[in-house]
Amino acid sequence: MSSPEPERAAELARGDDSRREGRTGPPIAIDVDGLELVYSDGTAAVSGIDMVVPNGEFFGFLGPNGAGKTTTIKVFATLLSPTGGEVRVNGFDVRSESRKIRESIGYMAQETSIDPELTAEENIRFACEAYGVPRGERPERVSELLDLVDLVDVADKRAEEFSGGMKKRLDAATALVHRPPLVFLDEPTTGLDPKARNRLWDYFRRINDLGTTIFLTTQYLEEADQLCDRLAVILEGEIVAEGSPTDLKREVGGEVLDVELEGDPAARERAAAIAREFDAFTDASVTQTDEGISVTAETARQHGTDLLVALRDAGLTVTGFNIRAPTLDDVFLAITGEELETDDTGAER
Amino acid sequence: MNFKRWNRKAVRNPFVLVVSLVQPIIFLVLFTEVFGNVAGGAVNRGIPGISYETYLVPAITIQVALAAAITSGVGLVNDIENGMFEKVLVTPMNRTAVFVGKTAAEVFRIAVQIAIILGLGVLLGAEIVTGIVGAVGIVAIGILFSLWFVAFSNALAILTRDQESTIIGANLLQFPLLFLSSAFLPLETLPEWIQTFARFNPVTYGVDAARSLMIDRDVMTVIEVSWFDGALNGVAPGIAVLLGLDLVFGAIAVYLLSRASSSDVK
Repeated sequence: MSSPEPERAAELARGDDSRREGRTGPPIAIDVDGLELVYSDGTAAVSGIDMVVPNGEFFGFLGPNGAGKTTTIKVFATLLSPTGGEVRVNGFDVRSESRKIRESIGYMAQETSIDPELTAEENIRFACEAYGVPRGERPERVSELLDLVDLVDVADKRAEEFSGGMKKRLDAATALVHRPPLVFLDEPTTGLDPKARNRLWDYFRRINDLGTTIFLTTQYLEEADQLCDRLAVILEGEIVAEGSPTDLKREVGGEVLDVELEGDPAARERAAAIAREFDAFTDASVTQTDEGISVTAETARQHGTDLLVALRDAGLTVTGFNIRAPTLDDVFLAITGEELETDDTGAER
Repeated sequence: MNFKRWNRKAVRNPFVLVVSLVQPIIFLVLFTEVFGNVAGGAVNRGIPGISYETYLVPAITIQVALAAAITSGVGLVNDIENGMFEKVLVTPMNRTAVFVGKTAAEVFRIAVQIAIILGLGVLLGAEIVTGIVGAVGIVAIGILFSLWFVAFSNALAILTRDQESTIIGANLLQFPLLFLSSAFLPLETLPEWIQTFARFNPVTYGVDAARSLMIDRDVMTVIEVSWFDGALNGVAPGIAVLLGLDLVFGAIAVYLLSRASSSDVK
């Protein structure tokens, strides 16, 4: 199979006018005011979310399992009715104009949703029929989408024979048949290997380059960092942080020095105490990790070695260290005080 | 368009088509060959002058309808499991049309299968006294009969959301329904309790109606009417009962489906 070609993506991105046609929605793609959703068993999945996603943005919705990401995206896709608040998608009200929303959005569910008994081409064709793509435009649309997700070679193979990544790509293609100006992607890369994940990212960037607004949920910080213009971090049904990945990282403050230590928790305790009182760092934030300690400070790079020396002089054995720019993991740690769970097993509703 | 998808799936997966035909065919061949001589006598005491093949074929058409209807619910569970159910819900497609399309594809398949059984029955020596018109009528009765079971298996599918449970639940009913009816032997030759059960068994009504058409005589065993001449007296009450059943089970299935596909928080 051929690898994704950047030139092709660029060519698609430039696009002729007909390609752009239908992709431009109203200036605000998603407008949410005080969204609440309480399940009938009393579980509050979402409690008071406000957010505005402008047209054309690649917006990321980041949070651990069970934070309320899928519930929120299902409200936007008209699969769930909100129990409180106002939600407008592409300018339409989710309660009273659900059909108009359905016509103007693409939705890719967390679970891969394709008919395994149909071929790749038939799956896309069915989506064309379901979204009312005019009969005359279908053949061209089908081949265009097969091309976009690089499934031309296997167009006539049944989807059940596909790998997980191929199924996801096919699923993504079926969400785009009607050229929606806004696409929802619910944890699209969960459970994929890194190679397949990277490849899928390429397609999402292409789609976004074509002018499509993308709303993506993910529990992978790296994914949000790589793809999104702007992020909201959700925790237990509430948005706890918002901004560009860079903004969020800046909030962490400075660079991160990870120090690996030998010995028991007491050694880590002592090391943390030393780091907190270390004169060369101002406003350092110190956390204990499984391997040792993690120090975030403006001057971590300049004075890191001094700290290592101080630790050694105190009789502690440093087995390794690393200085790095903060990742969204650190952002999350700074916001919540706990590390983000990134296992794939937990189901979410 | 859902009609097309389900038809395509049926052709794509001939295994399901064949299996839901094979069991009834085995019944048809085994019963006529093994019990033919014995049962033929019993049948002839009630309805003189017909072969066991002729007697049995209408019953087998009902069995086909029953077996094929089970796969309807299984198909729905598959759709729920592979995400197509939800996927269709986010499209602007009319939801009623979605389920009508799926059911239409299944009904179409059942019609084809019944036609095959009728053809095979004739080859084995059964006789459709009313000819082609009667054959078409039997197909129609088969479809009418299948609808309540299609609705039933879909309702099971939504309630269990599990393929095995749906298959087991529907299959469990299949044999008692068939045997505790007028399908294989005239009711008079069966024990009292079976006769009682058979009176409330939809299969009895389907089989008797189809059989009346098959041999052009009123053989409806439960409800005696004499509004018409001849066979229609057997067909009409059967159809009436089946229509009623279809409405009741259909309503239940539609209620469950619309509840499952509504966006209200549960």
